[in-house]
Amino acid sequence: MTTASRTESIRKYRALRIARRCSQLFFLGLFFFLFIKTDYTGSDRIEYAVNILFRIDPLLALSTILAAKVFIALMAPALIVLLLAAVLGRSFCGWFCPVGTMLDGAQRLTGSGKKETGPTMFPRLAIVVLLFIIVSSVLNVPLAGYLDPFSILVRALTQAIYPALNSLAVSFFTFTYESAPPAVNVVTEPVYSFMKQTILPFEQKYYDLALLSLLMFAALFAAEFVQRRFFCRNICPLGALIGLVSRRGVLKVGGGDTACGKCIHCRRICRMGAIDEERNVSMGSCIVCMDCLVECPRQVIGFSPGPLKSGNNEISLSRRQFITTLAAGAMIPPILSIRNNDQQQRSALIRPPGAREEGEFLNRCVRCAECIQVCIGNALQPAFLQSGIEGIFSPRLVARSGYCEFNCTLCGQVCPTGAIQELSLEEKHRAKIGHAWFDQTICLPYAKGIPCIVCEEHCPTPDKAIKFRMAEVYDDQGRKVRVKQPYVIDSLCIGCGICETKCPVYGRAAVYVTSAGEDRDTDNILPAAGGAGPY
Amino acid sequence: MKYTILNRRAFLQQVSLFSLGMTLGVPRFSLHSAFASSPPSLPLALVKGSNYEQITRQAVALLGGMKHFVRPGNNVVIKPNIGWDRSVEQGANTHPQVVKALAEMVLEAGASRVLVFDYTCNEMRRCYRNSGMEETLGKMGRSVRLEHIDQRKFIEVDIEQGISLSRWDIYKDALRADCYINVPVAKHHGLSRLTLGLKNSMGVIGGNRGRLHHDIGQKLADLATVVKPQLTVVDATRLLMRNGPQGGRLEDVKKADTIIASADPVAADAFATTLFGLRPEDISSTVAAYRMGLGEMRLEKITVREHTF
Repeated sequence: MTTASRTESIRKYRALRIARRCSQLFFLGLFFFLFIKTDYTGSDRIEYAVNILFRIDPLLALSTILAAKVFIALMAPALIVLLLAAVLGRSFCGWFCPVGTMLDGAQRLTGSGKKETGPTMFPRLAIVVLLFIIVSSVLNVPLAGYLDPFSILVRALTQAIYPALNSLAVSFFTFTYESAPPAVNVVTEPVYSFMKQTILPFEQKYYDLALLSLLMFAALFAAEFVQRRFFCRNICPLGALIGLVSRRGVLKVGGGDTACGKCIHCRRICRMGAIDEERNVSMGSCIVCMDCLVECPRQVIGFSPGPLKSGNNEISLSRRQFITTLAAGAMIPPILSIRNNDQQQRSALIRPPGAREEGEFLNRCVRCAECIQVCIGNALQPAFLQSGIEGIFSPRLVARSGYCEFNCTLCGQVCPTGAIQELSLEEKHRAKIGHAWFDQTICLPYAKGIPCIVCEEHCPTPDKAIKFRMAEVYDDQGRKVRVKQPYVIDSLCIGCGICETKCPVYGRAAVYVTSAGEDRDTDNILPAAGGAGPY
Repeated sequence: MKYTILNRRAFLQQVSLFSLGMTLGVPRFSLHSAFASSPPSLPLALVKGSNYEQITRQAVALLGGMKHFVRPGNNVVIKPNIGWDRSVEQGANTHPQVVKALAEMVLEAGASRVLVFDYTCNEMRRCYRNSGMEETLGKMGRSVRLEHIDQRKFIEVDIEQGISLSRWDIYKDALRADCYINVPVAKHHGLSRLTLGLKNSMGVIGGNRGRLHHDIGQKLADLATVVKPQLTVVDATRLLMRNGPQGGRLEDVKKADTIIASADPVAADAFATTLFGLRPEDISSTVAAYRMGLGEMRLEKITVREHTF
């Protein structure tokens, strides 16, 4: 190769590498934009396809479809990603994936990117993880959401990073507002107002599992200290799935061979550990980042459609590993099935309106936190163990945190898998997700003879589900007083929880909702007076 | 000699009343109003018609026009009820056209800025949007601002004349406005029977508002000693007769096409009560405020200026 043509080829690959970086930044920006738009913006309809990231995710699609045993049309776009992988290799990971972009960015920021990356530490692990997820999905224990990079990312953003940044901004601008001289406020107030209109959430939200969500995400970055793109090459089941297609795809990178001699620069710098001693590039690992093509001193590496020059270095499992993984995956359902069935936990498990029956719901829910992010009342919280360990991070209504807004149907609109079905406003108004109960030992008119009907005032059903009757009770001085005592009309209460949210009793509310009577569970019915029900 | 005896007698009288006041927990500030001769009653405007902007304008005109309340360069707060995620027809919120007419008049009177807000019960953005307020006021230009509640603006205020309420968080703008116009919507309420002007003031206070429900009438009257509207305009264009204060069913809404306005917040409430077939003394906040000398509730003492289109 002449010097001139080498310079020419370097220039070409460099341009492609710049294009890759631009693409990464563009999609990262797009991701943040859609994330911020996962909110009420004045319309009852979500205006952007904010959940598109999860609908193009082939891992979540595969896992959900296998678990639900039904084709989910919402997730059809995932097929496009797989088809593209056959043509463009794992450029999904190198050019698109926002998590990959952030990991690359972190490397640049910390300056550790120059380090030699070393061979992939656990080359088969990602495929084992993928296989494990597939097996357990078939057996109705879908685990994809826990290790899917997008789920990890959006959970951390929704439940930790975004609200924490807002808290920081609010503290800062409250400080300047209250303590800084007017000259400072002339600057800071417009800045705050602009930030509120653009990037900050409308209201401060609070989340259970904030720390756990953050830690899972932070672990991806911590692993970067072990080796570059540690998660992507060692664990990511989504990358592994795309790799299974791309290794058989048309795009090939290669050109180096033993003739290169002692130069193994490409192998040293490859962030995915895709290049072996013979300089074969594994297309199941290569994310087309362009580094080796730009930096090859002899400029012998290029795109070469067709089969590799020598041998195949793709990672595969031995028969024994394959069977062990299948067996391990198959053990999960029986182990989970023998746990003590704690009914108390179930009553605290109020699912969003439109949620499917619990088994089907969990089969579809990918723990992406989209519903939690969009919930305008801060009502939806990630579950911990209320639905067992396999239900962790799935959404549940915690009414002391917030209530389900009567005229809002956003959670069903953003759910990428139909775990929460989209409801029309009329359906939503009737959808019963739970039921309100009075704790008469602390409810003011019952326990203290103190007038209070805040729950009745806020009850949103046009014919109020909370009504009151006059009663004579003794107050704490032993005096007889007449007060209005609230009670619940079973047929009208939809379990939205606004009564519990607004109950003025400090701490534990005097009226609270449980999942009792929810539409989606035919066993969980309310006791009916007059012998109509099973009680 | 006579002079000193009288003085001593007056002194003793005051001391005994004062100590009586102390035992009842009444701060001395309320003594002033107890002794003050009741001020001459302020007129009340009652206008009917189906054009809500027109009847609002007419009501203010009957009270001497907006120039009577607003000076050029003033910062004015208009406080409607936008508490609920309900549509205009459902009658849970103040009609946006009433607010619009008032804002226009305020600007015509030379005010430099009009601020409109409410601390809503449902999600704030949904309330502002679906009440029609955002759309109507959004077209009015930069001097009219519909503001989302900014938590930083709540300041703790001593309610010196308060009998049941001594201290609460109140929105700064409501206290510091040159002119504060209260624009409640008249509707049914489970606890206070009706929610009118005094109850509408709950939309300018922060904290755990549900706690005010104990002795709510007196607490609202106490609040009225610090949140003092120069003008109260009761939107009775639609009356939510049942299932208030939130409603949701059109069959609970009665069309009344009426605007009531007065500089006397108690008189406005007292008169609006009659639209529901009730008496002023049925509403505990009206009674409490009248007793504190904040206004007139005796209908026969209120001068009504009427107009029907």
